[in-house]
Amino acid sequence: MGKNEIRLRRQNMSAGRIARHRNYGALLERHERDRKIKLYMKVFTYFLLAAFLIILFIIISRWEKKYAPDQDQKKTTSVENVLRYEAHANNSTTYNR
Amino acid sequence: MSEEEIRQEYSILERSKKDTSAFGELYEKYYDRIFNFIYRQTDDEDITADLCSQTFLNALKNAEKFEYRGVPVSAWFYRIASNEVNKHYRKIKRDKVFSIEELKVRELVEQTDDGWDEELTNKMMTHLRDLPTEMLEVLELRFFEDKDFKEIAYILDITESGAKMRTYRALDRLRKQFNLKIKYDGKK
Repeated sequence: MGKNEIRLRRQNMSAGRIARHRNYGALLERHERDRKIKLYMKVFTYFLLAAFLIILFIIISRWEKKYAPDQDQKKTTSVENVLRYEAHANNSTTYNR
Repeated sequence: MSEEEIRQEYSILERSKKDTSAFGELYEKYYDRIFNFIYRQTDDEDITADLCSQTFLNALKNAEKFEYRGVPVSAWFYRIASNEVNKHYRKIKRDKVFSIEELKVRELVEQTDDGWDEELTNKMMTHLRDLPTEMLEVLELRFFEDKDFKEIAYILDITESGAKMRTYRALDRLRKQFNLKIKYDGKK
């Protein structure tokens, strides 16, 4: 079943009344304004994206700088651990014998 | 509309991609028809003017994306207008209004001996009200806007056989109550 409201009109809309709303100049102005807004939004979006990438790059570089010495230390520690383990293993073998 | 005329309109649209003032020719040519088409679905002059303006603005914005599909440029305008009307009704969340010219309704129905009376008009209105929106849309395009099925299919984004089927079913429903003058293909 339909849910529409049907109205009956006695007369057609006159050409004169329609002509009151016809304005191509206004349409062009609106189009130009919309085009400019779209362009500004595009530029702004690219600017935001670039700023975000720069900030991300700065954060990552700082993070790398901050944790770089710790990583060296960790490596040394790991090497030391291996040496200690080997020494311990050798000692255990000697003791068992 | 001949193939030559359709091609001519496409060339105007092509020109308007570089020079927006060229679009004015199409605007002037089709403004009244699109206005009437929208007005028939809103019954409000100011809303119609807004939607009509939005229709042509969208057409101008998307002129670059438009592709030749063998239908007149006007069919594309009708399609945008139809989408704008649907968008409007989704926004206001109200039932769709169809404001039909009495003369057009009379053209559909064979007059009785007593001529056209108030009772027959009311009966017609009641039956049109019961038709689903999709059927009213095809009836409007087929008999009030004189569009062929290829154009109707393009405007409503359905297949050509789908458009024929909807028209046939809509007229079939009305034919049970009225003595219709026209066949589904528009012939009397």
